[in-house]
Amino acid sequence: MSGRDHDTSEHGPAARVKALEQLLVEKGLVEPARLDAIVDTYESKVGPRNGARVVARAWTDAAFRKRLLTDAVAACAELGIAGPEGGHLVAIENTKRIHNLVVCTLCSCYPWPVLGLPPVWYKSFAYRSRAVRDPRGVLREFGVELAADVEIRVWDSSAEQRYIVLPERPAGTEKMNEEQLAELVTRDSMIGVAKITAPGNSR
Amino acid sequence: MSEVLLSELARQLQYDEASVFSAPWEARAFAIALGLSQAGLFTWDEFREHLIAEVGTTDHRIRERDGTNRQGEYYEHFLRALEAVVTEKGIATRSDLMTKIAELQGPAAPDTHEH
Repeated sequence: MSGRDHDTSEHGPAARVKALEQLLVEKGLVEPARLDAIVDTYESKVGPRNGARVVARAWTDAAFRKRLLTDAVAACAELGIAGPEGGHLVAIENTKRIHNLVVCTLCSCYPWPVLGLPPVWYKSFAYRSRAVRDPRGVLREFGVELAADVEIRVWDSSAEQRYIVLPERPAGTEKMNEEQLAELVTRDSMIGVAKITAPGNSR
Repeated sequence: MSEVLLSELARQLQYDEASVFSAPWEARAFAIALGLSQAGLFTWDEFREHLIAEVGTTDHRIRERDGTNRQGEYYEHFLRALEAVVTEKGIATRSDLMTKIAELQGPAAPDTHEH
């Protein structure tokens, strides 16, 4: 550490980021247009709609579902879904007996290609510190009450492993096609903090 | 403690805003970090080590305090981690950064936050 005399933190973050960008541009290490493209990608192109497509495909195609649970990276690539922070993706399946919950206790690891960037609460101390210790209590705060005989499995994300939950397909959706099903799949259900309900079946 | 945390998670859930970034500088910091790692100047894992350290330091303070995050705290960690990996890798020095901040602000201009 280079000591307190060069501490940038006395300046506001906007000024620090601007200075950093300008320095890097002058050194030829980043291009503003490339940065614009990255921001645009994560603000409007990559997000939980990708994961919803994966889930809906798994619900309607048993062979795909099997491939997803065996090798999620390859299965997502079949749908053209890949990118940074997606190389270690594992899909975990909810069943009547098992509910999966995903957290990153140390920082904010998250499967970007399928879910985009994580929501604020996912990165909060409250969620990170409680998800492992008291998953049932955390789920209750999200409005999910699980029967006492349902086992909750908590998955702590890391540099080596990212998770997407494959939620249960709700009853009453037998006539829906893949596209309609994808509309039902929420981001929170793929993190494991929500269940999916069929339309008109609000809980 | 547990009750404080209970309400704290509820409070965090309210921040589940529609946009991914809550200020332009957050988006820019994210893009710089990803852009530099994609350009091969450091790996995302190397960046993550700094991020974990920043988050861990604050977690420790939060535990001593009241269990609550300040809003927007995450990208402050993120920016500190980015500055740390940039200086560690010799991409720029802290004094380069300080000089550039001063240069951009001009003489005696107040620090304006771009929100």
